[in-house]
Parts: sequence; C-alpha cells; structure tokens
Amino acid sequence: MSIWERWLFWRMSILTEVLHVAAATFAREVINKFPDVESKPLNDNGVELITPRTHIRDIVNMIDERFDDAFPELVFGVDLEEGNFEVIYIFWMRSSSLLLQIRIPLQENDLWVDTVSDIFPGFEWHERETHEMFGIDFKGHQDLRLLLLPDELEGQYPLRKSFKTDRSRLEESGLTVPKPKPSPSARPDDKPAKEADSE
Amino acid sequence: MKPDISDEAVELWFGPQHVAAHGWATKLTLVGDYIVECDPNAGYFHRSAEKCLEFRNFRQGALIMERLCMPEAFLAEYPYVQAVEKIAEIEVPEKAKFMRTIMMEVSRIHSIQFWWGQLAGELGLFTMVLWPWIDREYTLDAFEELTGSRHAVTYSTPGGVKYDFTDEFLRRLDLAIYHLENHLGKFKDMILKSPTFKARAQNVGLFSTKEALKLGLSGPNIRACDYPMDLRKDAHDPNLKYDQVDWEVPVLVSEEHGSGMCDAYDRMIQRFNEVDVALQIIRGLLPQVPEGPIIDPKVRAKTNRLPAGEAYGRVEGARGISTLWLKTTDKAQTPYRAKIRGPCFNSYYALKHLMPGLRFADFVLVFGSLDPYVGWWDR
Repeated sequence: MSIWERWLFWRMSILTEVLHVAAATFAREVINKFPDVESKPLNDNGVELITPRTHIRDIVNMIDERFDDAFPELVFGVDLEEGNFEVIYIFWMRSSSLLLQIRIPLQENDLWVDTVSDIFPGFEWHERETHEMFGIDFKGHQDLRLLLLPDELEGQYPLRKSFKTDRSRLEESGLTVPKPKPSPSARPDDKPAKEADSE
Repeated sequence: MKPDISDEAVELWFGPQHVAAHGWATKLTLVGDYIVECDPNAGYFHRSAEKCLEFRNFRQGALIMERLCMPEAFLAEYPYVQAVEKIAEIEVPEKAKFMRTIMMEVSRIHSIQFWWGQLAGELGLFTMVLWPWIDREYTLDAFEELTGSRHAVTYSTPGGVKYDFTDEFLRRLDLAIYHLENHLGKFKDMILKSPTFKARAQNVGLFSTKEALKLGLSGPNIRACDYPMDLRKDAHDPNLKYDQVDWEVPVLVSEEHGSGMCDAYDRMIQRFNEVDVALQIIRGLLPQVPEGPIIDPKVRAKTNRLPAGEAYGRVEGARGISTLWLKTTDKAQTPYRAKIRGPCFNSYYALKHLMPGLRFADFVLVFGSLDPYVGWWDR
C-alpha cells in the first residue's frame, strides 16, 4: 500500500465515522424521547429502529422536521409465521447519507398501524399494497381499496405464508385438474418389464 | 367525485384499451376539457413477482427481476444480485465489476432511446418513433452478441457476470454509440426546438423538489429540479466502478422556472442529459477493463444455501431508485421474503397529485414525461 493509498484510506475511515455519528445521533434522539425504542446499526451507514406501533407517527414526524431531504423508499409487511408479522419503513436521507429502517412487530388478530401517508404521500400506495397483501390495517388511511389484486382475492392476503400456491388451490383457478399418474408398476417402460423382455 | 361538480362532470376511463395505455387504466373526472380528479388504477399486469421470488433459488431470481422492466434489464436485475451477494458475502472479480457498470450504462441509454420513441408515439409524432428506434436496433444487436438475447439478457448473476466481452460485441457497441452520437443532436432539435412541442410541454406537470421528495419521485424526474440525487454518487457500492471515471451528476436548471422546479419539457431535456453522462461513463470505463476471470468459480456452492440474514440492494435505474429488500432463513434455498421497489410505482401514483387542473390533452404528455413502465408498478 503506497503512502497515498494509506492517506486516502485514513481519510475515508474518518469520513465514514462522521457519517455513522449522524446515524447514531438521530437514533439517540429518538430513544431519548421514547425509551422503549431499540436501535441497531446496519451496514452502509444505516440504522434500524425497532419500535412499538404507538410511536410511528411521532417518529415519522421527527424525520420530517429534522431532515428536509427525507426520501420515502419503502413500506412493506413480512409474515414471520405463527401469528407474528412485521411492518418495515425505509427512508433515505441524501445529505447525511443515512438509511433509516423502522421495524414494527405486530401480532395476528391485532394487525393495525397508524398511517403515515398524510405526512409522506409517497407511502400511500405502499400502505395500500401492504393492506391487501397482508391484511394489515393502516388506521386513518384515506383509501384502502384493492390496488393490484382482482376482486376475488379480497381478504385472501396472498403474500402471507398461509396462502398456498401449490396444487391444493387448483380448482379455484378454473384450470383442468391433471390426470392422476399411473402407479409405477403399471408403467410399460419400467425397468423390471424391460428385463423381462430381454430375457 | 365531489357533489358540487357532479352535474357537469364526466367520468372517463383512459385505458386499458387505449393505444397509449399499455396495461394500465386511469379514471379521469373531467369538467369540460379540464381534469378535476385523477384516479390511477394498477393491477392489470400484476404477476406477483414477490411471491414468485419465494419459489426460485438465488441464481434464478435475477431472471424474474429483469422481466419487470425489459428496457432497463441490466439495471433491473442488479438489486437482487447485490442483495444476494451481501448475504452470501461473495467477492466479485474486478473485471466483472467493470463489465457490470458498462452494461448498466448501455442499458440506461437503451431505456431512454426506447422512452423517447414511445413518448413520441403516444403524442402522435410517428417519425419520432421510428428514427430513434433504428438506432436502438444497433444497441439491441450488441446485447444479442453479448448475451444471445435482445431483451431477456440475464447478464449479472451473484458472483459476477455470465458472458465475456467479445471483439464482435465491442465492434457492435462502437457502432451503436457512433449512430447514437451522430443522431442525438438531430433528435434533440426535433423534439425540443419544435415550437409546437414546446408550447404543449412547457408549464404542464409542474412540481418542486420538496413535492417530488414527498411523493417519492426519483431519478431523472427529481434531477430535472436541479437536485443531484443519484445513487451512483451518493451510495458507494464496492461492486460497481462509478468512482473510476470523472463525471458529474446531470442536473438541469429549468429555463422557465429556474432552479428547484421542473415541468414536462424540462424532464425531457433532462433525459437527453442522462444519455450524455452515460456515454461519458462508458467511454471512461471501456479502456480500463482489466484481464481476469468474470465470475467467482465457486459461486454455485456459495449460493445453493444462504445463511440467515437481511440485505437491501439498491441501484440508480434509468427511471429512478429501484431497490430490493431480501430476507433469508438459515440454510434456505429460496428467499423468505423479497420486496421490490419499482421507481414507477411512485411516479404513477404521483399522477393523482399532478393531473388535477390540467387539460385532457396534457394527460399523455405529463404521463410520458415521467417515463412510466407498467412492469415496475404492477410487478
């Protein structure tokens, strides 16, 4: 490694540290306000906040006030099976180069979160899609009609793990049911039969 | 529909049968010639790519990703590849990094060539459909020589790329760039200096940087507001080689509205600027491609079963930021959950806010200026 490369490496490491501080500062600010929020560093100057659903509107409002370049990237659900679900929000702040991921654990039979689509209109359709695919209710959302699914699949929640896409749903699809395979012994080109022929 | 306008208002479905509406439909409420309400509808093209990804192994997933947006196939498949590489901790050979970056920029050019023909077709300028698409054929020929396929290229794969550059490919790429450069000025003049076109496109579909950020608009749409948001510079990806070339993020100061605002006309100029920068990057990287392997030889063993983890792949696509969030469970052969962000998901939604107040004839123009592609929002 030449001196020049070493110097560059050293400068880069300082820069990365400064950026990580930006991520950590915001996480600390949130935790000071809401002690039941947990934070976890992610790769590439990212930070993750794990929060109960009661704080989501306050945290998103904080993001909106603190960063004037907050870019709403994603809202989506994850089905963790055995009745556990998660809703994940991802924001990207360009000037501080901060990737913020907010995770809300939810339980089945109690699947709701407050909407943030009035603060970031870019999330309106993401929330609508999460609602139709997972059955997670976004309280206060102005329009929770089906977005991508046909009417027949309303209330079926296709992205849940319990929604099977194997043969068990074949009748529903209207496709013809395949003929049952003949049993191995009945096949004409079976190995024992060939051996019998050669003999 | 609000009660006070219901007497004279007309509801009109634009699509899904309209020629300009390839797989989408938007419900417009019109009073006279003016749009008072716009309700974009999605789902006509929905194939549930996210569920499909849960049943494909980690080398097959990129095939589904590129089918979401064929014009930018090299870019569309990359977030998935990046996410898998992060979880499996695969080292990509140096040569493959250069080749990926070059092909992603060629793909960006191809996507924009496709877009301006499509836009002109939607506006009824048929000459402008055919002329750029003659040049696009040369780009497709280069893709064909490289990958054997004109559209479904399947180039990037976890651990590297699939096909090496051949002499014939480099010749065809040169030819494509030669034709593009020769005709670019002519096309710019045809679209941008035409007084009719200028009169139609200026002052419609306006938004500011702040509005664009709130609506989640990215890529050329927000860079047209003189806001240099570009993941190629902002997010350092060690597996791409954008830092090996001198280039500036293309931004545009609107001649009508100044910095911080853009209309449909500005977004069109911006897309031509994007081509210039992409050409600059390709020209800078092509001579630097080193010798060596193009793929990690042990990639098959490394991607058969992945450890448990979560990764987030992001790329600056031709239409904006496209990302993929991937979760795997321990020793799984397929992803547990994959969430795709298509940039056009938000640009299509934005019509709801951009359209009211405009005339019906402006609809196709504003829609086309956002460079929508139906596969990105229906997935």
